Amino acid sequence: MRIGTARKLFVGFGLLPSVLLYAVFVVVPVFWSAYYGFMDWKGIGEARFIGFDNYVEALTHDIFWQSLGNNLIVVAASVFGQVPLALLLALLLSQGTWFQRFVRASVFMPMVLSSVVIGIIWSYIYQPQIGLLNGILSFVGLEEWKRAWLSDPSIAMWMIAIPIIWNFIGPYLIMFLAALSSIPQELNDAAAIDGATRTRRLFSITLPMIWDTIKVAIVLCISGSLKAFDLIYVMTKGGPAHATELLASYMYNNTFNVYRYGYGSAVSTLIVIISLLLIAGSQILMRRNNQ
Amino acid sequence: MRRNWMIVLTLLIVVTMFAGCSGDKGATGIKSAEGDSIKLSLWHNFTGDDLRARTMREIISEFEAANPGIKLNVQAIPPDGYRARLKTVAAANEMPDVFIMWPGAMTKEFQGGGLIQPVDELLQANAAWKDGFLPGSFDNFTIDNKVYSAPMSLTPTSILYYNQSILDSHGVKVPQTWDELLQAVRTLKAAKVTPIALGNKAAWLAQSSILSSLADRVTGTEWFIKAAAQEGAKFTDPEFVRALELLQQLQQEGAFQEGFNSMDNTQMEMMFAHGQAAMMIDGGWALTNLTANATPDAIKQMGVTVLPAIADGKGDPNTTSGVVGVGLGLSAKTEGKVKEAAHKLIFAMSGPEAQKRTLESNQLVSYKVELDKSKVSPIFSKVYELVNDIQFTPVYDGMLTSAGADVVNNGIQELLMGGDPKAIAAKIQEAQAKSLGK
Repeated sequence: MRIGTARKLFVGFGLLPSVLLYAVFVVVPVFWSAYYGFMDWKGIGEARFIGFDNYVEALTHDIFWQSLGNNLIVVAASVFGQVPLALLLALLLSQGTWFQRFVRASVFMPMVLSSVVIGIIWSYIYQPQIGLLNGILSFVGLEEWKRAWLSDPSIAMWMIAIPIIWNFIGPYLIMFLAALSSIPQELNDAAAIDGATRTRRLFSITLPMIWDTIKVAIVLCISGSLKAFDLIYVMTKGGPAHATELLASYMYNNTFNVYRYGYGSAVSTLIVIISLLLIAGSQILMRRNNQ
Repeated sequence: MRRNWMIVLTLLIVVTMFAGCSGDKGATGIKSAEGDSIKLSLWHNFTGDDLRARTMREIISEFEAANPGIKLNVQAIPPDGYRARLKTVAAANEMPDVFIMWPGAMTKEFQGGGLIQPVDELLQANAAWKDGFLPGSFDNFTIDNKVYSAPMSLTPTSILYYNQSILDSHGVKVPQTWDELLQAVRTLKAAKVTPIALGNKAAWLAQSSILSSLADRVTGTEWFIKAAAQEGAKFTDPEFVRALELLQQLQQEGAFQEGFNSMDNTQMEMMFAHGQAAMMIDGGWALTNLTANATPDAIKQMGVTVLPAIADGKGDPNTTSGVVGVGLGLSAKTEGKVKEAAHKLIFAMSGPEAQKRTLESNQLVSYKVELDKSKVSPIFSKVYELVNDIQFTPVYDGMLTSAGADVVNNGIQELLMGGDPKAIAAKIQEAQAKSLGK
C-alpha cells in the first residue's frame, strides 16, 4: 500500500505527542544519567566534572563484576529456565480442556502478585527455623540437607533464581500459546498425511513458525533479568556481604545509601550498555541458528 | 475535507495539552494575597499509629489551635519514603520552612548546600530550655559552633536484652564480662536454646548494635574518633582487628541462630519477644515492637543491661553507643515574620513540654525529665533507668562517611560468615580513607 506525502505528514504529526513524551521521559533521562556519570555529585550541592573516573572505578571494582556475574546467573536461569519451561507448558496445554485451563491459570497466577509479596512468600519458604523447605526436608528425614538457604553465599543466588523463574513464567506461556494458536492447522494435517512423526512436526513446523515469538521472549528475558531488583531487595538486600548483589541493587545502594549519585549514574549507564550488548549478541546468535 | 478536520482536531488536543502544562505553572507562581495570616510549611514523618507519632500530631494540632494567625501547611510523609522526599526537594533547593532532619551526615550535607540556618537565636532566648538537654546533645547538629537543630529523641543503639526466666532455668546469670557471655552462650547452646537472636539481613544492625559498643570497649572512644577522621589512627590497627575477632568468636561459639544474615530485625525482635532466644542485642527502637508483641507476663521477664566488659579493653564498660534522634531544621530561605512563627513551632514541638510528652509516649529523649513510671511500659522504664546511669559513645555509622559505613556493614556480614578479620579491616580502612579524600 502506497502512502502519500500528505498522509505521511499527518501520521507523523499524529505520532508527535507520544514521540515527545517518550523522548522526554525515556530517551533524555538515559543520556542525562550518562552525563551525570561524569560527575562527582552527592545529590546536593555542586557537581564536579571528573571525566571517566566513575566509569573506570566501576569497571575496576570487584563488586561490580560480582554483581554482573550474579546478573548473568539470573539471565541464564531466565533464558534457559523460563523460556523452555514456558514453551513446554504451552505445547502441553494448547488444547484448552478444563484441566489445562486450570493449570494455565495456576502458572500465570504468580504474575499478578506483587514482587514484594512473592519475596515475602519465598523468604518464608526458605526461612531456616520455621520455613516450609526445611520443614519438608526434616519431615522426609533429610535432616542433613537442611540449610540457611538465603544466608549461605554459595547457594543464595541460585535459590533466588527459582522464585524469579516461577514469577515470570506466566507471560511467556501466554505469548507462546498465542503463537501456537496462530499456526494454521492445515500445515500439521498435511505433514501428518506425508507421514511426519509428532517430533518431526514439532521441529519442522511448530518451532520454525513461532521462532520470532521465541526471539522476542528471549530479548524480554534478557532485558528483564538485567533490571531485576525487587525480589533481591525484599529477600536479601543484596547480602550477605554482596553474595546476591545485582547490578541494579549495586547501583541503588551506591546512589541512595552511599549518596554517590554520579557513581550510581555511571553504573546505570553501564547497565544500559551491557543490556544492549547482550541483546545484540543474542540476536546475532539466533539469526545464524535460523538459517 | 475530512482529513483537514482531523488535523484541526489533533492540533486542538496538542495545544490544550501544552496549555494545561503552562496553566498549572501560572497558578502556583502567583502569590496569594491573603490578609495577615502567616503561611508556614512543615514536613514530618509522624504518620504511624504508635504513641509517639500520635503525641506529636496532637502537639501540632494544639499549636494550630493556639495560633490562629499562623496557617500551617503540614505534609505528613510515611517514614520509609521521608528521607528520599526530603533529599529530592533538597536537590531542587525547595525546602519546606520547618522539617524533620537527622543529625550528623544529613545536617552536614544540608549545611554544606546552604539549605538550612542555625537556631542559635531561639536557643539563646530560652536558656533554661537549652540547659535542660543532656551533655553532648547538640554535637551532631553543630557545625562551626553554630547549632542547626535541637534533638527530639535519644536512641541507645546497643542494649543487651535478656529473658530472665530462660537464663534462670539454665542456671545462667546475666553476663557482666565477655568470658561470662561466652560461658552463657556455651551453656545455652548445649541446652539447645538459641543464646542470642540476631537479624542482620539489612546489615546495619550488627554494626549499630553490636560492633559500635563492642569496638568501643576494646579501642576506647578516642581511638575511634581519630580513626573515623583518619587522623592518627587506622582501622587496620590491632585493637580494631581484635574487636572484629571478638565478634567473630561470638558467632563461632554458636551464639546466633542459623540464618541470621537472611532475617531482619523485626523477625529477630519477634523471636526474642516469643521466648525463642535467651538474649538479643538491639537498640532502643525495639521497645515499641516488644511492647506491642510480647504478653505482659513475658515483658515482666525481660531485663536490660549494657554489653559485657572486655578484660584489658581501653574503653569504659559502663557505656552504650547511642545517637540523638531527629530534630527540626529551619530552611535558610525562611525570613522575617515567617521565621518568628517557625521558631514558635520548633519550640512547641521540641521544647520542655514536648520532650516530657515524648518521654511519656515510650520514647527516650536527650533532655532532663523525670519519668512518671505509671505512664509507660515496665520494659521502657527499665531502659530509661539504664541509660540514666551510663554514658553514651558514638555509633559507627553516625561517625563514618556513608561509603565507609556501607563497607563496615557488608564487612560484618562477611566476618560472621567466617571472613578474615584483617582483610575486612583493610577494606574498611581503604573505603573510609578514600571517601575522605585521604
